[in-house]
Amino acid sequence: MTEQVVFLLQLIIAGVAVGAVYSLMALGFVLIYKASTVVNFGPGELVLFGAYVAWATILSMKLPLTVALPLTLVVAILLGLVIERGVLRPLIGEPIISVIMVTFGFASVVRGVLNMSWGSDTRPFPALFANEPFRLGPIPISPVHLWSFVTVMLLLFAFSLFFKFSLLGTAMRATADNQQVAQSLGVSVKGIFALSWCIATVVSALGGIILGSVRGGVDFSLADYGLKVFPVVILGGLDSVAGVLVGGVLIGVLENLSGGYLDPIFGGGVKEVAPFVVLVLILMIRPYGLFGRVDVERV
Amino acid sequence: MQCGDFRVSYAADERIFETRLPVIGVVGLLAVLACVPYFAGTYWLDVLNRIGIAIIGAIGLNILIGFTGQISIGHAAFLAVGAYGTAILGTKAGLPFWLAIPLAAVLTSLFGLVFGVPSLRLKGLYLAIATLAAHFITTYGVIHWESMTNGVLGFNVTPPKVFGLAIDSDERVFYLIYALVVPAVFFAKNLFRTRVGRAFIAVRDRDVAASVIGVSLYRYKLLAFVISSFYAGVAGGLMAYHSRIVFPDAFSLLVAIDYLAMIIIGGLGSILGSIYGAVFMTLLPEVLKLSATSLTGVYPNAFGLIASARDIVFGLAIIFFLMYEPAGLARIWERLRSYWKLWPYAY
Amino acid sequence: MRRVLFSLVPIVTLSMLTLGLCVGPADAQTIKIGNLVDLTGPTSDQGKDIAQGRNDATQYINEKGGVNGRKLELVSVEYGFQPPRAVAAYKKFVQDDKVLLVLGYGTPDTEALRPFITKDKVPYISGSYSGHLTDPKQTPYNFPGGIDYTSQIRIFLNWVKEGWKDTSRKPKVAFIFADNAYGRAPIESGRAYAKEIGVDLVDEEVIPTTLTDATSQLLTMKTKDPDFAYVNTNTQWVPVVLKDSLKLGLRTKYVINNYGIDERTPGLAREAAEGVYGIQDVAYWGENVPGMKTLMEWHQKHHPNDTHASPYMRGWLWTLMAAEAIKRAGPNPTGEGVKNALESLREWDTWGITPPFTYTNEDHRPTNRARFVLIKDGKVTFVREVSVERDMKWIGK
Repeated sequence: MTEQVVFLLQLIIAGVAVGAVYSLMALGFVLIYKASTVVNFGPGELVLFGAYVAWATILSMKLPLTVALPLTLVVAILLGLVIERGVLRPLIGEPIISVIMVTFGFASVVRGVLNMSWGSDTRPFPALFANEPFRLGPIPISPVHLWSFVTVMLLLFAFSLFFKFSLLGTAMRATADNQQVAQSLGVSVKGIFALSWCIATVVSALGGIILGSVRGGVDFSLADYGLKVFPVVILGGLDSVAGVLVGGVLIGVLENLSGGYLDPIFGGGVKEVAPFVVLVLILMIRPYGLFGRVDVERV
Repeated sequence: MQCGDFRVSYAADERIFETRLPVIGVVGLLAVLACVPYFAGTYWLDVLNRIGIAIIGAIGLNILIGFTGQISIGHAAFLAVGAYGTAILGTKAGLPFWLAIPLAAVLTSLFGLVFGVPSLRLKGLYLAIATLAAHFITTYGVIHWESMTNGVLGFNVTPPKVFGLAIDSDERVFYLIYALVVPAVFFAKNLFRTRVGRAFIAVRDRDVAASVIGVSLYRYKLLAFVISSFYAGVAGGLMAYHSRIVFPDAFSLLVAIDYLAMIIIGGLGSILGSIYGAVFMTLLPEVLKLSATSLTGVYPNAFGLIASARDIVFGLAIIFFLMYEPAGLARIWERLRSYWKLWPYAY
Repeated sequence: MRRVLFSLVPIVTLSMLTLGLCVGPADAQTIKIGNLVDLTGPTSDQGKDIAQGRNDATQYINEKGGVNGRKLELVSVEYGFQPPRAVAAYKKFVQDDKVLLVLGYGTPDTEALRPFITKDKVPYISGSYSGHLTDPKQTPYNFPGGIDYTSQIRIFLNWVKEGWKDTSRKPKVAFIFADNAYGRAPIESGRAYAKEIGVDLVDEEVIPTTLTDATSQLLTMKTKDPDFAYVNTNTQWVPVVLKDSLKLGLRTKYVINNYGIDERTPGLAREAAEGVYGIQDVAYWGENVPGMKTLMEWHQKHHPNDTHASPYMRGWLWTLMAAEAIKRAGPNPTGEGVKNALESLREWDTWGITPPFTYTNEDHRPTNRARFVLIKDGKVTFVREVSVERDMKWIGK
């Protein structure tokens, strides 16, 4: 294969791997939105939370992996419950701008608490996967990327099945559609909200663990990944689980391609801004995202 | 105190202040403001200057979000355009400040016009996300258009001159800033007595119904963006003259969130609320800093803790306000006032 | 319930405010030093140790009787690496606290404050070692606290040239740097110097401040196939760059600047750190230098459970330097007096933490010596002492 083609393929594969992680974070966002039409503007901090708790249990408390990982997820569930009960329930029915600001608010609190508890040093993250890349032809693929992609695919598959076929999943979709009718049919709306937040925090925590292993260290810059969620969900649709995977991978690939080809021309930084340019373009053509549901308005 | 509405002429109807007392109050307040620089220490003048800038920015944002219902997270981008515009016009083109600031503000409104176009197609959350994208795109532009903006190294601004006197200290900048804050507040207050202002409110409340009765959504949404970004442009320009260096970092997403917090804590859809919110958000970190410094003498490790406490206090403040008083400080003030007015009656 | 909570808010705020305002008048005998730290921003992993170093050093100096009989007092402001907050803090330092000098921190804010400190005559010892701060003709009050970045990049290029044995072509190098004032500081001079000594600069990669992964940058660099790359980024990005590079199979050898490499790098980058070179400006934890015993004692006494790393040394170093200058400035020191005192330092012994410092009124580069280190078997090992001539051509660049 020529060098140019190898370069392109490497960029694409790296993009797919990174994109899988974006999809994971976006999944949390979409779940919350799907169930309660609440927009979480602090997805980065949830990821950060997961990564730090994982670090703390594995390295600081030196618990074995089989205990540490489930423990992290349990803590994430607790966080989800706290957020839903303490912060979001009082705000049911308030205008969207208030809800957005509240999510900024608790993102800030989470960040501050993490800083206070564990400080902001870069902490080394345990290598959960082997580091030796194996080769697909001339292209090296790191096992971490492969495993994260597989994990994300599995989770997404599981969730689409969940939403489509299980009773609880259907109940969540019903709540998102029309809370009052769902309630009248016996769905516990409060329980659904709590469940959606807990799933979201757990999924973000997993994202944090994966990101931590990919980068080898946890520090506060992990939260910056959070903002990438928005181009992903706009591309894929705010309430589509399948769309999340497509969106995530596309954004990951797009980033890397613009990084590889456009960065040298423009002197850097294009990689970070390209997803947002795409976001604006998409919104202009399809205001509800590529797979999103059109909101019917009643006057 | 009035009891009832009884006006016999159009002139009476158009008056801003119904009785004489508020007029005296306002004039008194202006007089006090004019004397402040003689008494206040430089540190507090700096704080007051920042409050003044925040007031202008917050009013602008409130016009857009509170009165017209268009959610925008891109306010920091508009501030950046205003600041860099003023800095470049004032320093590179050598224009005097009374040309640089208005021109930069006009430039920012054009910018706002462009970024307001998505609002014609997008609502609510999608508009918020689009404005988020606008923020990143603008920041990228500012950092990478190095020939104009000096990129990440920051841009030094030459102080403006008034009759040969350089405005390079906090006392002098104070007058410049508040000379603009006062008309800004009055313009905004008056705006909502006019047709344009009422159209904005109609767009916020029920935009489909408004268009049915003849309010041109297209025109008024864009106008809201234009006016709001004009305010942001002025605020940005004042930021440039106040700190005399413009950095891309000064216009991060956190700044946009700070302004959002200002208008929400202060009260959406209320000019007075914008002022309260601006004061609150600017003073919050100062209060924390003061307690940090005093505690450090007693307990040295407190310093590190207080630093992260800032984030926590900020988040908690937002959460508490949104939970217990979603209409913000303005509503609290109103309740205090009516309690005072109506005592001992309950209503 | 709501009312109770609500009435709590003004009470808490008022009490915090009164607490703050109740700071008693400082002992008129103390000398105030402005102190900028980053505890919550992107360099907070270094900032925390630096802040601890400064606090401990101040305490140590005060316990030994202070400077000329007066105690030192650090007026600390945490600014999250946001230059606007640094500017506001500086104004407060100068106008309200009337500090004698400022222990600064990051490159963006230090470079931004240059005109102000020159006008106010406030000596500024910075954690930023930018070459732009080294020319007394332009910035007479700036004193970088260590070997400047431009000298470091020259050391790198010299090392490349000297070790290059292949006569068929010139060595190829690349620069990888952060997209901020700190990262960009030495790049222009680096380009010029590379051309001057005949080293081929084939690629420059920019690492943006919100780095998610460096794959595309490294892939692009791989197509240019440099032999060596100089890394001038924030500390946290270094392990990411190294790991991604290992993963992509680049054969480039890396040299990292003084802030990018320290005792923690092998632990963070693990296998990717093997064979990576770096420039070391300050002694690492536990090294056999005269001052290490004191520093380690103090660290154990006050922060036994904290990380032990070189930024702590830097904090001590700069504070000791400030104290020495204030002592030399005499019983009633002024800003200008302290500046002159700093410029009088000749081969001043820094307890062995760094090579001896010399500032003159023509050259604010404290030293032109550093050490070249190599990470081998998971440890940072000493290769050799390096130095570069104090060529006046590169001052202020």
